[in-house]
Formats: sequence, C-alpha cells, structure tokens
Amino acid sequence: MPLLRSGIVRAETLVDIRGVVPRGIDGASIGAGTTLAELECAPQIPDVLREACRLAASPQLRNMGSLGGNLLQSTRCWYWRLKWPCRLHGGDECFAHEGEHREHAIFENGFCASAHPSDVAAALVALDATLHTNRRELPVSDLYHLPRADDRRTTTLEPGELLLSVELPPAERSVYLKAMERKLWAFPLVGVAAARTGGVTRVALAGVAPVPFLLQGSLEDATPLPRNAYKVDVARALVKRALAALEEST
Amino acid sequence: MPTSRRSPLLRLEVNDHVYELHAEVGTTLAEALRDDLALTGTKVACAEGHCGSCTVLVDGVPTLSCITLVHSVADAKVTTIEGLRDHQMVHAFVREDALQCGFCTPGQIVSAVALVGATPKPSTDEIRHAMAGNLCRCGAYPKIEEAIRTWQD
Ligand code: SF4
Ligand code: FES
Ligand code: FES
Repeated sequence: MPLLRSGIVRAETLVDIRGVVPRGIDGASIGAGTTLAELECAPQIPDVLREACRLAASPQLRNMGSLGGNLLQSTRCWYWRLKWPCRLHGGDECFAHEGEHREHAIFENGFCASAHPSDVAAALVALDATLHTNRRELPVSDLYHLPRADDRRTTTLEPGELLLSVELPPAERSVYLKAMERKLWAFPLVGVAAARTGGVTRVALAGVAPVPFLLQGSLEDATPLPRNAYKVDVARALVKRALAALEEST
Repeated sequence: MPTSRRSPLLRLEVNDHVYELHAEVGTTLAEALRDDLALTGTKVACAEGHCGSCTVLVDGVPTLSCITLVHSVADAKVTTIEGLRDHQMVHAFVREDALQCGFCTPGQIVSAVALVGATPKPSTDEIRHAMAGNLCRCGAYPKIEEAIRTWQD
C-alpha cells in the first residue's frame, strides 16, 4: 500500500488474491497467506521461524501481514523509498555508498548496498525451506536475486507467479536473534537465524546484504561501508550467541 | 488515483451498523471511515502503517486502517473507537490521565481493548508486546501501561 501511494509501484488493477493463496498450517506445509500473528503462536513450527515472526514488525502489521508478503517486501533503503534515481530505480548511482548508510549492507554491497529487511526470510533460509509457487518449486534462497548492472531484479518471481506455500524440513534445534534500534517494532540491524538438522548447522542473516545472506564463509570477509562497520561486530556477537544456544539446548 | 475509477456500491459494517457507500478502488478504510462515514475518531498520523494511530478492529483483530483497502473488509465487522465509547478501557485512560495531546489515544484504546479481550489481566511484558505498534509522540507510555494494568478497577 505505501509503495502504491508513493507512486513507486503503479497498478492499473488491484486483485484480491486471498481466495487462491492458502492460509494455515498443514503438517510441514505453511500457506503463504498465513499471517505472522498466526505463526507467532504456532507451537508446532521451528523456534527460529516462530521467533522471527514474533520479533517482526508491529502487532497490527503481524495481524495483517502474510508469510508470502513478508518474503517479498521491498528494501527499506531511504534513498529508494524517497525515489532518488538510484541503481535499483534504474539509475547509475548508489546514493547510499557516499551518503547515509548506517543501516545498509556489509556484504555483497558493491552495486546496491540495501539491506534485506525480512527476519522471516533469514529464518527460512537457515531452515533450507522449499517454496511452492503456481509454477515451480524452489529453495527459498533461489527466490532472491542479487541486483547487478544487467539484471536489477531483487527476486526471481515472474509476472503472474504467486507464492502459494512453504515446506519446512525437520529441524532439530533452531534459534533467531535480532539486534534492533529499539527493543520492539523495528527492522533488523542484524538478524541471525541458525538451525541444525542432521548434524549440519546453517546460519543465515537478515539486514546485512541486499538478499537474505547464507553464511558460508567468514564474517571477517565483510566489506562494510565507512559508517556501518559496527554491524560486523553485532553479527559476530549474535552468531556466537546463536551457535551457543544451539549447543546448550542439546 | 485517477478519478475515472469505477466506484462500486460497497456494504460496510461498522460498530454494528450497516452502511452503504460508493468508494473508488484504492480507497483506504481510514478514508472511508473519516470522509464518507464521518467517523472521525479514527486518527491518521503517518498514513503508511508505522504509528498505529489509525488502529481499528476488523473481526476483533487490531488492524491499521490507513493501509487497509476498504473493499477488502466488505465481509468483515469493523469496530472503531466510536463503537467502544462505553468500554471500561476509556474510563481507565481518563482516570489514569493516560494522554497528553490525545492524538494517539483512539488507536491506543482500540489495541488495549483487543488485548484485554484475549488476556483480561495482562502482565507488563504482555502489555508491551501487544501495544508495541501504537506510538505516542507525547511519551505517555507509563500511564498508558498503568491504565491497561488497572482497567477493571
Ligand atoms: S542501496 Fe540500493 S536502493 Fe539504496 S540507493 Fe543504493 S542502489 Fe538504491
Ligand atoms: S496512520 Fe496508520 S499506522 Fe500511522
Ligand atoms: S498523547 Fe500525544 S501522541 Fe500520544
């Protein structure tokens, strides 16, 4: 809605998709129309996902916002929201690089330094969940596309393609930790999702790259901008705590 | 929004009263309540889903009317602050002096009513979790919390 109002998104026709997108939890499958509020108090889903939902947005937004909508939210980059003609809008400059970027990305930030805002996406990447659309089945990470000069899309969803459901593999232990500007109702400065399945631990971060970031290398490989190196310290601390929490709960 | 948009007749149930109105597609619930139905108790501050001042209940659930399309709630029951005028929560806010300018108050009361409907005696943590989406620029939070804690007194 705000993007329509501000003219960043234009629409000739508005379609109510609530009739075709499933809502509710059915075993390991979650309808993309399920609200974050419904997930926040669902005892049967992994801790990492429930906690990511509980710490996301505000109570009213969790009542209104769906899982699918949350995964597809646009960047919070203020230049983009204010319609500065930046690279993500098709221009040839990233204003965040030289300008205000304390909330921006510390990884993969050379072309566009926007920070992916979805707690839930990080949780699902850590869980290695599978998405079902009306056309295909894909790992959650494949929904996202790192914008670059010749292809500036941030997701791989095609026109007419709808997210329908998310399939969760079993997780033995999982946890979500989030650093925010204030204690509640804020986007993640850094969010750390960790899940262990069959002896393999996957860690994914929100708020550190233009897409949800699966940690494969070292945090020391980060490329922070002049005024957001603090995020590397925060990520280091949260990853350490998350891994310790997985150990403890054994 | 172009003015040529068709505006189908819409049936809207607010505070147990059924209204019929013509609203262009793209009209928000807040606009319909305030401009078409003259229910101006619902306040719009940010108009983009951040502050909570426009909170109403849709089928009992706290919802931001500024980013809800009115056509999407045609089958629902909407409750605004006007529909809660006799609720004890209103008296609790007055008694505890839980406001300064009062602009956020209708939204605060709507969220608080939903909270105590589900949890009649909420703990401090429950109050803070449920009220996190209602910002108060006057900083009346301690008294708002107190009003909710003591609403049945
Ligand atoms: S970070 Fe991305 S969205 Fe923000 S100004 Fe740079 S190119 Fe645009
Ligand atoms: S006016 Fe609706 S959230 Fe601020
Ligand atoms: S009393 Fe003024 S904004 Fe809350």
